[in-house]
Amino acid sequence: MSRQYLALVLPGFIIFTIGLIIPLFMAVRYSFTSWDGMSPEKVFVGFQNYVELMKDSDFRDAWWFTLKFTIGNTIIQNVVALLFAIALDSGIKAQKIYRTILFVPCLISALVVGFVWLKMFSNVLPALNDFLGTNINFLLFGEKKTVLSGLLIANNWQWIGYWMLIYLAGLQSVPSDLYEAAKVDGAGAVKRFFNVTIPMLAPAITICVVGITTGSLKVYDLLVSSTKGGPGRASTSMIYQTYTTAINGRQYGYGCAMSVTLVIVLLLVALVQVKGLKSKEVQA
Amino acid sequence: MKKKKEKLEAEVQQYTKGSVIVQIIMTIAAALFIAPIFIIFNYSFKGKRELYLNNPLSLPEKLNFDNYIAAYKKLDLATTFTNTFIYTAISVLILAILCGTTAWAIARCRRKFFKFCYIYFIVGILIPYQALFLPIYMIGYRMHMTNTRFGIIFMYVATGISFGVFLMNSFMSTVPLELEEAARIDGCSVFRTYFSVVLPLLKPAMATLVIMQAFQIWNDYLLASLYVSKKQLKTLTVAIQSLFSAQSSDYTTAMAAIVISVLPIAILFLSLQKYFIKGMTVGAVKG
Repeated sequence: MSRQYLALVLPGFIIFTIGLIIPLFMAVRYSFTSWDGMSPEKVFVGFQNYVELMKDSDFRDAWWFTLKFTIGNTIIQNVVALLFAIALDSGIKAQKIYRTILFVPCLISALVVGFVWLKMFSNVLPALNDFLGTNINFLLFGEKKTVLSGLLIANNWQWIGYWMLIYLAGLQSVPSDLYEAAKVDGAGAVKRFFNVTIPMLAPAITICVVGITTGSLKVYDLLVSSTKGGPGRASTSMIYQTYTTAINGRQYGYGCAMSVTLVIVLLLVALVQVKGLKSKEVQA
Repeated sequence: MKKKKEKLEAEVQQYTKGSVIVQIIMTIAAALFIAPIFIIFNYSFKGKRELYLNNPLSLPEKLNFDNYIAAYKKLDLATTFTNTFIYTAISVLILAILCGTTAWAIARCRRKFFKFCYIYFIVGILIPYQALFLPIYMIGYRMHMTNTRFGIIFMYVATGISFGVFLMNSFMSTVPLELEEAARIDGCSVFRTYFSVVLPLLKPAMATLVIMQAFQIWNDYLLASLYVSKKQLKTLTVAIQSLFSAQSSDYTTAMAAIVISVLPIAILFLSLQKYFIKGMTVGAVKG
């Protein structure tokens, strides 16, 4: 019987291994070579690529941008998504319409989202300025200082509704007698929120925090159509930097070393988050 | 602001004043969220002249479909739309079959190997394929899978399977074991049990899976741009990106292209929404 189960698992197992696990090992292996992607021999260079990464200021800048983008997203998206979910769960009218409107942006490709916000910031909103006679600076993608906030607006617009849906699902599964009991015990609204809602939402919080973090660390598509990593190099993410180095610069070995650092960070962050958040989860 | 809002929302049942304020806040939020979508639609019908002369929020002077016709030609829509549709439909179909069977086997068989499999697949959620795009491109190149329909579908399945298995696995506890045991006693094989007893109970889960995977594959840019460079194999998103760079000043055509590209997924979502919400609920609660 377990042989039949095995037959059900194996196809997926093999496809997954070829498509993702073997590439993972390839990245590690090639990161120790100076391969250019074309020549037949791959010269082993030891840790040289990693040593060079330490000195590479472009690499550091790319990490710095990616981290700022990730932290900004994790905080804003979680807080706003949770607030929206609570608002929709509070029994307001036409809940379903709000839910659909807020969710729809995430069905759009990140590439398209980037372009739409590029046009919003550079054409639509300034035109609105002229029309209303106001003078607000909307050219967020044009300056190094503001490009991060512009991208955060675009990314949050796209994803808040998605995470809100998960929080909403979590909220709707909290048994209402828990609130009643807390009320009888004299807990105020704030106290009920922190002592009942948040602990009961812990599984949803784990999913959202880990999902938003990994989702932000991999940002690429959004940049291709909006800022192209600019102005200057102010919005070059890790993957964008890897792409330019490896595909355009023909430094595959060096690019693989970059990928490996990203994979290590992804795994570390997920491990820390899951451990930290799981310990706070309670069973209903 | 944040605290104040929470307080308001929690007190809603006692004070109708609070609920009115929440309703107003959410209406404003929804209006801001839908504004860019309105702009896309609005601009997709505007003429070039209207871009510079009118208020951006004003409706187009007349409903003209010129932008759509231009987008159809420039995107080579007959080819790119068909390609994207084929890649998405086949990948999602394979994923729906594979993820269901894999997750079920992992949930029901208690051997060590299956426990290991669960963790093995989770790795794919923690490491999104984008982080490994370079070796993924290299392995595809070496196995002669680049510039083939088979290659890109294979990779979409490989990169989507972790999430699917994770999602389906969280649904397996909703399938009553008694039913499966009854089927087994009646002499059903493992395969029969899955396809005739378990699968019909997984409808909401499947709807969630189909939507999640479909919009990710349909919208994917990085993998499609790496794997297919041949003109007759190109996807819609890749064609849209070239249109964006070519048409950055006359972006009314680009806006029409966006509407065309989003429509199929929007229709899919709206038609499966009921199941999808149900599916998300179970998935989120079980974690």
